[in-house]
Amino acid sequence: MSMDTELETWRQEWQSEPALPPDLRRRVERQSRWLKIAIALDILVTVTMGGAVIALAVRVRRPDMLVLAAATWLFIAGAWAFRLSISRGLWTPAAINTAAFVDLSIRRCRAQMKAAAFGAVLYVCEIAFCLGWIYRHSARSTPLAGWLTGSLTARMVWVITIVFFFFLVRYRRKKRGELAWLVSVGEE
Amino acid sequence: MKSSTEAEAAWTAFTFFTTLDRATQEQEFDRLMAANGPALARLAASYTNTSSDRDDLLQEMALAVWKALPGFRGECSPRTFLFRVAHNRAIAYLARSRARFPLAATDAEVSDPAPTPESGLVRAQAAERLRAAIHRLPLVYRQAITLALEDMGYAEIAEVLGISESNVGARLSRARQLLRETLEKTR
Repeated sequence: MSMDTELETWRQEWQSEPALPPDLRRRVERQSRWLKIAIALDILVTVTMGGAVIALAVRVRRPDMLVLAAATWLFIAGAWAFRLSISRGLWTPAAINTAAFVDLSIRRCRAQMKAAAFGAVLYVCEIAFCLGWIYRHSARSTPLAGWLTGSLTARMVWVITIVFFFFLVRYRRKKRGELAWLVSVGEE
Repeated sequence: MKSSTEAEAAWTAFTFFTTLDRATQEQEFDRLMAANGPALARLAASYTNTSSDRDDLLQEMALAVWKALPGFRGECSPRTFLFRVAHNRAIAYLARSRARFPLAATDAEVSDPAPTPESGLVRAQAAERLRAAIHRLPLVYRQAITLALEDMGYAEIAEVLGISESNVGARLSRARQLLRETLEKTR
C-alpha cells in the first residue's frame, strides 16, 4: 500500500467515527450560566459576611466587635487574594497554540501549588483568631486547655480543620501529579 | 507575509467576531459546530477511554469554544481556532484525569456498532481498531495524526500545535510508523 493510499484509507475510517451528541449548545449554555452563578455566589457571600460584621460592629459599638469586623475584612481580602492567585492565568486567550498552552499550564500548576500553601497559612491564622475571639468573648472563666479540648465549638473546629487539611493535601498531591505530567509533555 | 486574500479573510473574521452579540454568537457557534462538531467528537474520543468520558470532554471543548468565541480576533482561520481550543482542553483534561494512561486493549470500551450490512460492520470495526491504535500513541504523535486525519495540511497543524512545519513532518512520519506497527499487531 503506498503511503498516501494508506493515509487516505485511515482518513476514511477515522471520519466515519462518532457523530455529535444532540443538544450540545443547550448544555453548553446551561454550564456557562452555572459558572456565572458560581462567581456571583462568591461575591454574594463576601458582601453578606462582610456587611453583617460591619452592621454588628455599628450596632453594638464595642471594641471587640470592631476587632472582629476588621479581622473579618482582612481574612476576606486574604481569601480573595488566594482565590485570584489560584485562578491566575485563566483569562489568557483559550486559543493560543498547544505548545504555549502547555507552558502556561505548567506555570498555572506551580501557582496553584503555591496558592495551596498560602491557603493553609491563611486558614491557621483564621482559626487561631476565631478561637481566641470566641474564648475571650464567651468562655473566659473556663481554663483554656480544657476549653480547646472539651467544648463543642472547639471540637467542631478541629473536625473542620482535619477535613480541610485532608482535602488540601489531596489537592497538592493531585497538582504535583499534573505538574509532572505537563513537564514531561513540554519536554517531548 | 500574508497574501491579500488571507489578509482580507482575517479582516472579515476580525470585524465579524469583534461585534458579536448574543444571537450572532449562537449562530456562529452553531455554524462552527455543524461544520466541525463531528471532528471534535472524534478528537475527544482519541483522548478518552469510554463514551461517557468522551461526551464530557466534548462538552468541555464546546464550552471552551463558546467562551473563547467573543475573543476571537481572526488571527487564524475559524477551524484552526477551534482545533487550538479543543486541543488545549484535551491537554487540560489529560493533566487532571487518569485517561492519560490508555487502558489495555482488553479493558478499553469498544462501541457496539449498530446492525449494518456486512461491509458497514467491517468498516465500523476497522474504524474502532484505528481509534484504539491512535489512543495508544504518545501524545505528541496522537496530536499530529488526529489533525492530519481531519484533512489538515502541515502549515495548519503547525499553527495549531505551535511547532515548525518540519517538526510536523517528523512527528507525522513517526506517528504513521507507530500506527502501522500497532495496527499490524492487532490484525
